[in-house]
Amino acid sequence: MTGPLPPRLERELRSVVGADHVITDPDRLMVYESDGLTAYRVAPRAVVLPASTEEVSEVVRLLHGADIEIVPRGAGTGLSGGALPTPDGVIVGTARMNKILSIDAADRLALVQPGVVNARLTEATRPHGLYYAPDPSSQSTCTLGGNVAENSGGPHCLKYGVTSRYVTGLTVVMAGGEVVRLGGAGHEASGELDLVGLFVGSEGCFGIATEIEVRLLPLTEGVRTLLGIFDTMEAAGHAVTSIIGSGLMPAAVEIIDKATIEAVEASIFAAGYPTDAGAALVIEFDGTEAGLDADADRAERCCLREGAREVRRASSETERAALWKGRKKAFGAMGRIAPDLLVQDATVPRTRLPEVLAEISRIGERYGLKIANVFHAGDGNLHPNLLFDRTDAEELARVEKASHEIMSLCVAVGGTITGEHGVGVDKRGYMGLVHDEVELDMLRRVRRVFDPGGLFNPGKVVPDAVDAGALPEVSEVAS
Amino acid sequence: MIAAQPLSDLLPPEALASVDSSPLFGGRPPEAIVRPASVEEVAALLSWASREGVGVLTMASGHRVAPVTREGRFVALRMDRLNAIEAYEAADLTITAGAGAPFSSVTRALGENDQWAPFDPADVAARSLGGLVAAGESGPLRMGYGELRNHVLGARVVTGDGRTLDLGGRVVKNVAGFDVLKAVVGSRGGLAAITSVCLRAFPRPEVDRVLVRTEPTVRAAAGLALAVGTAPVLPASCVVVDRLSERGERAALVVRLHGSRATVDEEQVRMERHVGVPFEVVGDVGTGADAASSESTRRLLEGVRDHVKSDGTVVVASVRPSRLPRLLEVVDRLGPLALSCDAYTGLVRVEADPERITELDLLRRDVIALDGAIRQERISSTAMRGSADPLSPHDDRRDASAAGRTALARRLETAFDPAGALWPART
Amino acid sequence: MAQAYEAQRERLLPCVHCGFCLPACPTYNRLGDEADSPRGRLHLMGAVVEGRLDPASDAFQTHIDRCLGCRACEPVCPSGVEYGALLELARATATEARPPGVLTRGLLALMGRPLLRKPFLLSGRILRATGLAALATRVIPSRGPLASVRLALAMLDATRPWSPEAAEGRRTSESRAVPRRDRALSPGDAPPNRGRVGVMLGCVQAGLYSRVNEATVRTLEANGYEVVTVAGQDCCGALHAHAGRLDGARALAENNIVAFERAGVDFIAANAAGCGAAMKDYDVLFEADAAMSARAAASSERVRDVTELLASAGPRPGAEVRLSVAYDHPCHLLHAQGVSGPPISVLEAVPGVEVRVIVDADECCGGAGIYGLTHPDLGARIGGDKVAAVRAASAQVACTANPGCMMQIGAGLRLEGSSQAVVHPVEVLDESYRRAGFYH
Repeated sequence: MTGPLPPRLERELRSVVGADHVITDPDRLMVYESDGLTAYRVAPRAVVLPASTEEVSEVVRLLHGADIEIVPRGAGTGLSGGALPTPDGVIVGTARMNKILSIDAADRLALVQPGVVNARLTEATRPHGLYYAPDPSSQSTCTLGGNVAENSGGPHCLKYGVTSRYVTGLTVVMAGGEVVRLGGAGHEASGELDLVGLFVGSEGCFGIATEIEVRLLPLTEGVRTLLGIFDTMEAAGHAVTSIIGSGLMPAAVEIIDKATIEAVEASIFAAGYPTDAGAALVIEFDGTEAGLDADADRAERCCLREGAREVRRASSETERAALWKGRKKAFGAMGRIAPDLLVQDATVPRTRLPEVLAEISRIGERYGLKIANVFHAGDGNLHPNLLFDRTDAEELARVEKASHEIMSLCVAVGGTITGEHGVGVDKRGYMGLVHDEVELDMLRRVRRVFDPGGLFNPGKVVPDAVDAGALPEVSEVAS
Repeated sequence: MIAAQPLSDLLPPEALASVDSSPLFGGRPPEAIVRPASVEEVAALLSWASREGVGVLTMASGHRVAPVTREGRFVALRMDRLNAIEAYEAADLTITAGAGAPFSSVTRALGENDQWAPFDPADVAARSLGGLVAAGESGPLRMGYGELRNHVLGARVVTGDGRTLDLGGRVVKNVAGFDVLKAVVGSRGGLAAITSVCLRAFPRPEVDRVLVRTEPTVRAAAGLALAVGTAPVLPASCVVVDRLSERGERAALVVRLHGSRATVDEEQVRMERHVGVPFEVVGDVGTGADAASSESTRRLLEGVRDHVKSDGTVVVASVRPSRLPRLLEVVDRLGPLALSCDAYTGLVRVEADPERITELDLLRRDVIALDGAIRQERISSTAMRGSADPLSPHDDRRDASAAGRTALARRLETAFDPAGALWPART
Repeated sequence: MAQAYEAQRERLLPCVHCGFCLPACPTYNRLGDEADSPRGRLHLMGAVVEGRLDPASDAFQTHIDRCLGCRACEPVCPSGVEYGALLELARATATEARPPGVLTRGLLALMGRPLLRKPFLLSGRILRATGLAALATRVIPSRGPLASVRLALAMLDATRPWSPEAAEGRRTSESRAVPRRDRALSPGDAPPNRGRVGVMLGCVQAGLYSRVNEATVRTLEANGYEVVTVAGQDCCGALHAHAGRLDGARALAENNIVAFERAGVDFIAANAAGCGAAMKDYDVLFEADAAMSARAAASSERVRDVTELLASAGPRPGAEVRLSVAYDHPCHLLHAQGVSGPPISVLEAVPGVEVRVIVDADECCGGAGIYGLTHPDLGARIGGDKVAAVRAASAQVACTANPGCMMQIGAGLRLEGSSQAVVHPVEVLDESYRRAGFYH
């Protein structure tokens, strides 16, 4: 059922969260029709913005009672359409749940509400000499609730690991409104199933995490950042293999390809990279000051041995920011050279990077598309950016075909279809590349373990015969 | 036996071992011990067991099995023939091996490229890869490297009703679908039988420095450990034992620092300054260290790791690290014969006096008050009493959501194993 | 209208909906509704341009109006979306579809016409001087129909001159050796000539903060600038532009462009961040006007915040003023002009001054023109958070570089019973120079 909520339900929702925090005006709901993936637009029936676990529980209970679908939403920065509304559904947003509930410096733990912005947690814990390690590129805006839902990574998870490594406990509102506390520091010995690990990365399909307990790390003392400029992508790829193979443990290894360098240097974000370079490699080491120069020296030698044209080194925070600038501003710069941008997120075994990149560039040529690559090379996590104009239906069709070929390629070399952005709606169609029907069926069963009625974020993650077709295809979307 | 006939139709003779090791099962031997050589054979066994209503007790390497108290027909599943190193991509830092591969063989293979898998739970040297993953125990090195569950990149498993699933993959970042693999790691074979595992490997640190500080009491050592836990460095591990065998009856704090020599030297200084006492450098394991000292340091580490004997009556308890001193008081009532404590996670393992294990239920209340958990992990064959299973997971919290948590766990078990064919491993 | 839509369409294209702007937005942070975030507002603007949304709709009117215009979203935007320019265009669309409220219209009418503006500000000075403003702040209840009047009078009272000695905790009876209105004449080594400067005097600044204008002239001269009087200058037009009255803004801007051209200055010094930001954007305001665009661009090129001019000259140190100063960044200096260091450099140039940048100093104080009067609840929440941060810095004076912010923070402090002074950075430098005997 679409259209306005039943008036009585709307009244009840308003009495739970406050009249201002239920949005039903169709004009206002337009604002919620996309998340960070704008290829799809679906307006929800309503948006509800609760402020506490109790309110979330009551809201979910009411919606469940009315058999209405629930789409959880954090900051709406996801790139796979995980927070895309369903036409029959109501968005339950966590934006107002943005409090850091406690910081336990002795045990290096923090308890936060899901709407807390990732970077804000590190700011708040820094005075205690601590920080929160996972750093998605959107960390200045993405929320911890969203990070939990997506099991987010980031440049520095090469050394430190992704979100699931840091989440120790969750308070979750389940279908029907039941509140369940999962895990929690101090419960190692219980021998329970790892429901926290299972919940992290469930993309809003299992329930809504309303309190998140995370582990903090001591601040690292020093940082060394290197920028290697290479004539070819292949040489940069070999340098990565050489650095990792030498036993070094960089905090981050990122590659920016030629097309991206050109885009960045042509934009208002020019970072001073040579435009005739084939690839640039950003390598970062962090840790105790004493060992850093030696590590940086070794990495520099690896780069030079693999044919780096030059290696720049940052020794101050300003210089470091300059070296990172080309990487951090890449998406924005690309946004300015093409009206639309499709960011893919495949992962391949690191040693297969050079051949995969060469093949991606051949795919781009074959379909007449510009594809720019910026990615977490240390993890083998690729982000090919397909540039296009969505008003050109024919070009859009080529983008879809090229995307499918890139995904098939990555899976064929032993990789997967998403490393950190999640499946959402965007990669649902690729799930068959990595899972057979038995596995997909298992994913559906696990979803029903948490949400027997299938009301949480339906149509996401697992292609499902029942809800297939509930969402418009990219090409059907008005622009 | 009624079941042996159809099983032998399904499986080749070499997959069926004779049941001559009955003492392992506390006098209640299985109908058969199945030793499959392929995932297909595991699947055939489990679908048969689900159809026939026969229990399957997974033994992993099978070097240690607790007495069977559960009623009903069952067979034992040993993975020792699924022991191949299937793929080792040194440059990718990944290794894939059969579940029955001894962890020591995985370690040996990695060592050839100066790599390792930094997991050091008690008794790890004798365990199989699959057993380790099923138990989900990381050991104290998780302080510096993270938990085992984060480094199991993929696994091939067979569900209780015989469905084969490839979970995860061979890449370090993978969010293609729900993270079902996390639930399987640490599920003690209760969700699925693990047949092969892909692990993330790590480069060996240049220096593995082992620092020791002996203290008159466990509580004093634990107090120092808490101070280490707030130092501006992150050691690879930080463990308290109630005595270092070589040094008489004194408690000790054992800290490992990993990294380049320069880093480790600096971190040691910084840690000692923060804690306010000097540590004794037992030795460096690694490049440049002299062989003899390296070997004796390695022996000391093994002693610390296996300090709580696995063939005894082992109880594990946990609290947030800052509450460790109070937890130590509580477990003291078990009359510990040996105790070790991972200060990073607040996990205490004790070998309890078998005579005092009955106290366990009385201690529970005190542990709940500390918002912690306590559970009997291992049982000595002589101490088995009654018919209740003391080794089942224990959720000690009686908070409002305890029922919800239990219901979730049960439903998850049903999703994997609808007929309840898998009997969780007990050791 | 079509032309305005076209200008918006072009500027909306770079927005990739990434959401980086959300946590930078004071309204989103407090309300949690994405329609009150920059991305949401841009989405609504896009919907209007696409013809999917009526500009007279409640959604468009409410959320475009509720924007503070602080432009904190601009520096965090990875795609360089020109939000400030888009907001002005959207406000033009919105006001065309539905006229704004009486308060906004009234204020614009006053500020746009010198004949009305001057008596209005004079009456303000009278209320202030007689102490009636301060008295009213104390006697009018904080809730009820007169709450807005109370806030307005508190803002007025906040513009009273400060006493440096009182702030330092010294007795105020010490006689001042130098009358405050004197022009600067530096003794001894005359600094090199750094250029000819015309000071943008502003409306509120000239009307209520003439002391800041005087300090601006003295400190610039003490640092080697030749300051000339610029006749014929007008209101900068910022209030009109922010309200979507772009034609009104252009008329005022043209007066200023002509006046400063005639004065033949190298630099136009603004000491009100709002005026400076507006004048640096004159090029955008006239981008579609072939006759004016080149002159507007040349004018924009010459605009500097006074602290930029002072910082580039050092500034030269004066005598000690023992003060702790809690500094807050004005949005139109930090976000709109990208100026963060110079005001702090000016303060730090004064021996004895300890600068404490307040927590969340990069967030709007809620002043935003007459936001506190048009959006009393939200304005009070945003302002309340700012006052709490200022107080938490426990400095002797608060300091910021825009009259609207000085009034907003000052009013907030007064309504909480604090008498802490709020000053402009040049006032502190000026006091240091006065004590050093640079003026006579």
